[in-house]
Amino acid sequence: MRTTIPLVITFVVGLIMLGEAFIPHWMYRIVTENILEWGVILAAAAFVLGLINLIQVNLPKVLAREPEWGYKLVMLVALVATLVVGFMGGGDRLSNGQAYKWVFDFVFVPLNATMFALLAFYIASAAFRAFRARNMEATVLLVAAVVVMIGRVPIGEQISERLPQIVNWLMEVPNTAARRAIFIGAALGAVATGLRIILGIERSHLGGD
Amino acid sequence: MLLLSAFEWLVRFQHMDRRWIFLGMAIAIAIPMLFPFTSEFSVDRSVKDAWQAVEDLPEGATVYISADFDPGSRPELEPYYRAVLHQLFTKDVKIVSATLWPAAPPLVFPIMEEIAEVYGKEYGTDYCFLGFKDGKELAIKSIGENLPKTYPVDFQGTPIGDLPVARGFKQLKDFPLIVLVSAGFPGIKEYVLQVQGQYELKMVGAATAVSGPDYIPYYKAHQLAGISSGMPGSAQYEKLVFLEHPRENLVHPERLLGIEGVNVLNLGHVFIVLLIFLGNVAFFTTRPKGVE
Amino acid sequence: MTARWLTLLFLLALASPAFADSAPSDAANSDDDDSSVIGVGNDSAGDDDDSAAGLEAPPGLMEAAAVAEGSMADVVKVPAPTELTVTAPKHNSGLNLDLSWTPHPDVEAARFTVARAESPDGPWEMRVEDLTPDITTYTDKVAEDPLNKGVRDQYYYRVLALPRGLRAQADEANLTKPADRFAFLDAHANSTPAIAGEPKGVWLNTSVGFLLMALIVLTVGGLMFWFTDRARKGKEVFIRRIPGIDAIEEGIGRATEMGKPVLYVPGIDELQDIQTIASVLILGEVSKKVAEYQSDIIVTCCIPLVREVADEVVKAGYYQAGYPDAYRSTNTRFISSEQFAFCAGTNGIILREKPATNIYLGRFFAESLILAETGFVNKSIQIAGTAEATQLPFFIAACDYTLIGEELFAVSAYLSGDPRLVSSLKASDWIKVFCVASIIVGTLAGSFGMDFVVQLFTAAGH
Repeated sequence: MRTTIPLVITFVVGLIMLGEAFIPHWMYRIVTENILEWGVILAAAAFVLGLINLIQVNLPKVLAREPEWGYKLVMLVALVATLVVGFMGGGDRLSNGQAYKWVFDFVFVPLNATMFALLAFYIASAAFRAFRARNMEATVLLVAAVVVMIGRVPIGEQISERLPQIVNWLMEVPNTAARRAIFIGAALGAVATGLRIILGIERSHLGGD
Repeated sequence: MLLLSAFEWLVRFQHMDRRWIFLGMAIAIAIPMLFPFTSEFSVDRSVKDAWQAVEDLPEGATVYISADFDPGSRPELEPYYRAVLHQLFTKDVKIVSATLWPAAPPLVFPIMEEIAEVYGKEYGTDYCFLGFKDGKELAIKSIGENLPKTYPVDFQGTPIGDLPVARGFKQLKDFPLIVLVSAGFPGIKEYVLQVQGQYELKMVGAATAVSGPDYIPYYKAHQLAGISSGMPGSAQYEKLVFLEHPRENLVHPERLLGIEGVNVLNLGHVFIVLLIFLGNVAFFTTRPKGVE
Repeated sequence: MTARWLTLLFLLALASPAFADSAPSDAANSDDDDSSVIGVGNDSAGDDDDSAAGLEAPPGLMEAAAVAEGSMADVVKVPAPTELTVTAPKHNSGLNLDLSWTPHPDVEAARFTVARAESPDGPWEMRVEDLTPDITTYTDKVAEDPLNKGVRDQYYYRVLALPRGLRAQADEANLTKPADRFAFLDAHANSTPAIAGEPKGVWLNTSVGFLLMALIVLTVGGLMFWFTDRARKGKEVFIRRIPGIDAIEEGIGRATEMGKPVLYVPGIDELQDIQTIASVLILGEVSKKVAEYQSDIIVTCCIPLVREVADEVVKAGYYQAGYPDAYRSTNTRFISSEQFAFCAGTNGIILREKPATNIYLGRFFAESLILAETGFVNKSIQIAGTAEATQLPFFIAACDYTLIGEELFAVSAYLSGDPRLVSSLKASDWIKVFCVASIIVGTLAGSFGMDFVVQLFTAAGH
């Protein structure tokens, strides 16, 4: 029973949703739209559970002064402060001078931009480690990467006028071909995974048989 | 002795603390910022096509802009966003815009407001911002099918029917052009998959350098009329709007962030290529013989 | 129980009066979108009368129209479009009608306005006000709330050719309500005659493309059953070694030896994304193995619903392995639904709790490299897998093993070792053979000017 009921629900709902691709009638669409809406409501309700989980995981560690409890305290204070500020100001909270806008401009924007900017540094160190001409394939990868890297910026054009053309060819032909192959393979894998779940062949998420 | 120490140095170089790489990268980025220089570059066909699609709009037309980026992708996409707004306002094209990214509204609307003010455009009559809509692909599907139902009010709570600029637009199909400024998911790919084919929409887009190559197949299949990719794409778009084809009523901005940025990229890319080159020199010099 | 409720609800919905009768009562229709409906006479094509004759607008509107009338002299009418056709699209939901018209060849209208009514005499409702002159088609949605307000058998349409300056006059007269505006525009622009259209809902899409799609889905399902049946009968199924998947078990063993946890990140997308679903399935197998090895697993989630499901899956894995007491709910953690905040939080866990093995499987975006580089600094064994092509290069550069595209969807079958699951992978392999064959045939046929394969798959795309 523990696995049968979820399997039946999965089969029925899965089949209804799959049918949407083949049954265009609006009456059928209303059924599928309702099911999707239940999903959206569930996802929204889960945010409350997420909040509870955050507090459950972090608050006891702060109270027990476990190692590095300070980080967790900062997180909890930031969470509460942003929540309070978010409720203030109503529809005008995006206007200059409002606390929410201030938090966005002077806390969120710099933090977000900093995290994204880390990529520039991490790419440099990852590329330094990974691009070694160890064998034929690695050499092809290395040469293509260097050509694209230089050809995508103005200095590439200064070196050779043909470099941007080569870059465009690399991006539009071999790169696109490989991406399409990955995309087709992944799409088929996705279809097969979906059907395995709907047909009840896949039960890993239920703890097996 | 000298040879031995050089050998040791090369071995160490291969396993150096990555913070040295970070420092080198920081210097490579800071130099062109502190001492700006300009270098010539040409415009890719995909960027020119994106620009041309906007140029082809009749005067007085209304476009839909989905500005889906956040502070992280701002340096790459803001220059394009600004340039396309200048291009649209100088052509007297009206704008209905919205976003699918929760972090976007405080970022994208002030920019639109600022540029609109430069050209004396009025909110509600010449442009409007409908705000953020959650739901990702479902939201795109919904906008494609019924705009007023998805956005009954703008971001300030004004009913969409009270905004002359948005009046009468029921579906995305009603807009002669959709401009997508997209940093990732949900963005260009989702618009193409959910609504482009179904409604045969004309769309152009700007993407980050990382996601740009993902959209080339759509551009090649004419599902996107044009595409600007990353900082170089933004710089090329700025070149088209501000330097190569400036309109008479164009108000030149103080700075062209894309063109400045692409020069910064110059040294950054050279630095990485140099690192890779030196890494390989060290690798081959210190590699034991007979080992692949 | 829920399944029964679902079935019951579905059947009830099908049996309800609204479903049984697609032609609803007039009463049901009378309040459909009333805000923009106004009683306006049909101003037929070629009618050059500039007055607002035929208007049955409220007194306030009449005044507004009269105000605008004063400056109407400089607005010259343009001929109405011709050949207006209203047809139901093929294979449609029954809620759309396609309009198409031909603009006057010599005189260009500034804008086209489309109006709809339930009878040829009105009242007319403006559907779209300012279609640019190059647009000569429009798809109308006939009902917003068909379940409660129903769908009529017939709708009538007119297309107005607006002269230059007319909309500006409407703006000057401060006509903001759609009904007021349409009354004004209708009074001062030429229109096509009212043309009727009948929406037609279809219960099964029988276009070639959709039949092909259905055939593919049925074939995959059929092949899956066939291979599963063969496996049940004891037939051996060959599956190639995937080092990345083998490394998952090694990584769990390493974590046990080192007395450190395994970190599992199921991507940052919503639960409905197929990559997240695949990742949650893999988590079931991984948590079972972690429990068997008596190790710990930390799962960090970006979406609260994914955390709830992941938590249940981990719990089921521990139960399945026979170690329910070892399961700890606080190890499955929601970090933040903001991409980089989630990334920073997970990095913090990598640096503070020092997992021996990091497994990143699912849909990732810009955070992929930041996570993987932090894991590298921590000297964790790192196994990644995604079908997100943009992030694959980062994972390949920074991780020890990377599962590319479809390999992600094979992991749970491979890890479980269940012959039924493994054999089901064969089904998608055969469909891939079909795809490759289609690409080759399509390319060859296209090269020789025969585009039937292209057309077939284009139809499937739409």
